[in-house]
Amino acid sequence: MPLFLMFIPVIAFFVIFKYVPMGGVVIAFKKYNLMDGIVHSPWVGFDNFRLLFSTPTTVQIIRNTLMLSLMSIIIGFPFPIILAILLNEVRHMWFKRLVQTLVYLPHFFSWIIVSGIIVTIFSQQNGIVSGWWESLTGHTYPFLYREGSWLTIFVGSGVWKEAGFSAIIYLAALTNIDPTLYEAASIDGASKWKQIRHVTLPGLQVTIVLMLILAMGRVMEVGFDQIYMLQNSTVSDVSEVISTYIYKVGLMGSQFSLTAAIGLFESLVALILVLITNAIARRFGNGLW
Amino acid sequence: MKPSIGERVYLVSVYVVLSAVALLCLLPLVHIASLSASSLQAVSAGSVTLFPVDMSLAAYTQLFESTPILASLTNSVIITVVGVALSMVFTILAAYPLTRSYFWGRRVFMFGIVFTMLFSGGLIPTYLTIRNLELINTYWSLWLPGLVSVFNLMVLRTFIENIPGEIDEASRIDGCGEWRYLLQIVLPLSMPVLATLALFYGVGYWNSFFSVLMYINDPAKYNIAVLVQQMIQSQMMLAQMNGLESSEQLILSPEMVNSAAIIIMVVPMLVIYPFLQKYFVKGVMIGAVKG
Repeated sequence: MPLFLMFIPVIAFFVIFKYVPMGGVVIAFKKYNLMDGIVHSPWVGFDNFRLLFSTPTTVQIIRNTLMLSLMSIIIGFPFPIILAILLNEVRHMWFKRLVQTLVYLPHFFSWIIVSGIIVTIFSQQNGIVSGWWESLTGHTYPFLYREGSWLTIFVGSGVWKEAGFSAIIYLAALTNIDPTLYEAASIDGASKWKQIRHVTLPGLQVTIVLMLILAMGRVMEVGFDQIYMLQNSTVSDVSEVISTYIYKVGLMGSQFSLTAAIGLFESLVALILVLITNAIARRFGNGLW
Repeated sequence: MKPSIGERVYLVSVYVVLSAVALLCLLPLVHIASLSASSLQAVSAGSVTLFPVDMSLAAYTQLFESTPILASLTNSVIITVVGVALSMVFTILAAYPLTRSYFWGRRVFMFGIVFTMLFSGGLIPTYLTIRNLELINTYWSLWLPGLVSVFNLMVLRTFIENIPGEIDEASRIDGCGEWRYLLQIVLPLSMPVLATLALFYGVGYWNSFFSVLMYINDPAKYNIAVLVQQMIQSQMMLAQMNGLESSEQLILSPEMVNSAAIIIMVVPMLVIYPFLQKYFVKGVMIGAVKG
């Protein structure tokens, strides 16, 4: 009984702030207006969804979201693994700790800070990177205002911020690999590369699959802070995504029903992707549940 | 056994690559710090790299005199301190009962909680809920929607589950109730993981940006993240308009003031970070093992 008393505030929290909003998704099937509120606004069936998928802007926004997050996930995926394998080779503990301290650090910076740094160093007037570029090529380049370079900076900044911290999980998995496997391999004359291929990578397999499943759940989302800070009107063809659209059109423009519909679409796709990936992973014996 | 030449080359390159990566993480911040503490001439000439040129703290003076940075810092501290306290209490209250095998309905509650990780109502329904509760423009709108992080909850639950059962039995025999057991036995034993979770929550609240943008309309209640964002945004707009070269009589450029603001926002993090590093690595690992 005391346990249940303890738990009541927790239940209240999850009901009010998680499950009530979940019920609130019904406005995706309604024409919400302020006077009638969520409950009494008239039903419109799938009209909002029909509108979403027939408007070129929103279709492009969904495409942008998918493209940016897939690029970030696919390009970003190998970096933590490589970093963990490299760190695992280091025999001087002080060096390892120093490197770890520095590479975990960017994870704790907010996107405001990271974007602030990016805007400053890539600034066309007197950003340091632009300075180097100018001395190499003789002219300046508007890095943040061209789609190609903007995409590179977007994906690169994600890798810069999170690769180090994500390596922690792989490092943990590496400590579980039996050291005698390496001894055996090296007695058999396996080179370093072969050891990595045949001992290290198989040892990381479970963790890699786990991280892939988790990444799948994020395919439909691009974190708001990063994109909102880095985007500008010049590159909006590639940089407008679901989260910024919901903010600008939904919250600023009060189009609640339409943007709730795109939000529900986002949540559902994410849920389905996680379930599918997990089902596949379970086939191979290491699903999440 | 002496390492072969190939192996030695390999090891050296490992150290070189790792050093480069580590420097890459640190140097951008060092550059920003130098920009914030140099003179305008040096910054405009592009001669500032890793050390301040013509050391000057004018950017910081400017920042504290003509922007509301002090107020927004105070707001950030309030948001962070109260938020961490609330989140920790709720996370503990959620995690502990879920570790007790005799807690009625444990599996149902667990499923209900994990499900919120897989599916959510989304931004708009959450916003409308907050609005209906009339929490807009109060800090409750920042604390309440993300009060308990399910990931952090799982980390704590796993940790408490690993406390040996004998301790539990012994204290039961001594007539120890749930509350006393939680407060006097479980929590002191969980100190390392509690420190980690407090760090995670603290960083989250300190960096909170989107929620402030969404729920807070009164500029006097903005935190430092929103303030810095607005400063950077206006700098970008200036840059887009180009050719606004009226900086002759100025002693500062916007990016110097912005750099100073970035440094101010980063410093608290850098100060606590070394103390907590050994804890969070452990915390992440507990979370990872359990999944």
